[in-house]
Amino acid sequence: MIKQNRYLFFIFTAVCGILWGACKQEGSPCLTPTQVHLVVESMHKTTDTSTVFTDTTLSYARFAALSPNPIKYGYNPSSLFNITLSPNDTFCQWVFTTDTAETKKDTITLNYQPGRQFLSNACGYIYFYSLTSVSSTHNIIDSARINVKSVTNDITSNPKHVQIYIHPLY
Amino acid sequence: MCRYIYTLFISALFLFCSAPVFAQQTDTIAEEDTAAAKPKKKDMAGHQLTLGVDIYRPILNQLQKDRYGYELSVSYYTRNEYYLTMEIGRGGSTVDSAYLKYETTNEFYRLGFNKSILARDNPKDWDMMFIGLGLGVADIHRGSATFVVIDTIWGNNTGVIPANSFPAYWAEIAGGVRVELVKGLFAGWTARGKFLLNRNSFSELSPLYIAGYGKGDKNTVFDINAYISYAIRWDRKKKTVIDTSKQALAPTPAIDSTKVIVPATNGTKSMREARDAKSK
Repeated sequence: MIKQNRYLFFIFTAVCGILWGACKQEGSPCLTPTQVHLVVESMHKTTDTSTVFTDTTLSYARFAALSPNPIKYGYNPSSLFNITLSPNDTFCQWVFTTDTAETKKDTITLNYQPGRQFLSNACGYIYFYSLTSVSSTHNIIDSARINVKSVTNDITSNPKHVQIYIHPLY
Repeated sequence: MCRYIYTLFISALFLFCSAPVFAQQTDTIAEEDTAAAKPKKKDMAGHQLTLGVDIYRPILNQLQKDRYGYELSVSYYTRNEYYLTMEIGRGGSTVDSAYLKYETTNEFYRLGFNKSILARDNPKDWDMMFIGLGLGVADIHRGSATFVVIDTIWGNNTGVIPANSFPAYWAEIAGGVRVELVKGLFAGWTARGKFLLNRNSFSELSPLYIAGYGKGDKNTVFDINAYISYAIRWDRKKKTVIDTSKQALAPTPAIDSTKVIVPATNGTKSMREARDAKSK
């Protein structure tokens, strides 16, 4: 039965084979981020008794990593800041200031447990973290607390991992 | 683009397969109606053992420098258009990127059966279009892997994952075509959908490529093989037919009408009767 359509069959097979072969890529490039970010949310009270509200008035807040390769992150007016954690250690420190013109600074210390996770053959591994504690100096920051312990590459739930409360008098 | 091509391919495959299937369905309904009247059709086809080699893999090996594989196929015709199939092969892969470096090799075995859905023109017609099911197992050996997590702020994190060996299991559905080009020499292809059953056992570092399966970090893989195969055939043993007509004509032993056989109702009574007869 197939014999009658033998040539058609071969053309069909050859076309399928060529298309299939063309689709097979030698090695796909890494297109996903290989670092996770910890999201810091700034909160503000104007007085001790007032309701807490999210602070969006930090016009140009800055975070600087206390690391072997120090880097400074500057932000436009925002209340959410993305910082990274060190996979080589169980803690890291970031220096925070509310504005470039501000001389007062605070150091935020984050303690955590890193965990290695296979991402893909193209991207290798990524580190996820489980936050254990957070502390800070108290020049600008009144207090800091962990809101979401797990720091992963899941951004669909918009996690705000750490909240920092700006001093009421500031 | 690839997804579009796959869709096109699968659609064409089903379209190609559907005509004989529907034709067979109507045949089946018709046959069911007359099943009581007609005896079951006898399978007149002989034995067939087919040895094949995948000719598509060596071509892909040239196109894809980071992986390779080779595959042999054996199939045996049982009865009623069922074929037992076994495929064996080996292959490997090399990952060499800025993030990860390692090598794997593996052997694999697949066992399953195919059912031809194409009606034969005659008992010597071995062309077939088939669907099939199978199970596959691969024995994977991975060398030690070195990885780098690039971090421009805190410094790169590097490490070594020790070498490991582990199995992979998968189930597969298949469909394809075989055409006899000249007597005993076949060409054809098989498209397969494969479903990995134990991905969690190597989630620490999924192999780039598992020969016989495909990408190790995918739970579902579609693949195609193109085979050239050679068939060895022999006839089925003819069943010895016992001639019962002679037995039917043989004279039955004559019954002595003078002897009256009285059936015993139970054992004790018949013994008593025998004793009485002896005393008389």
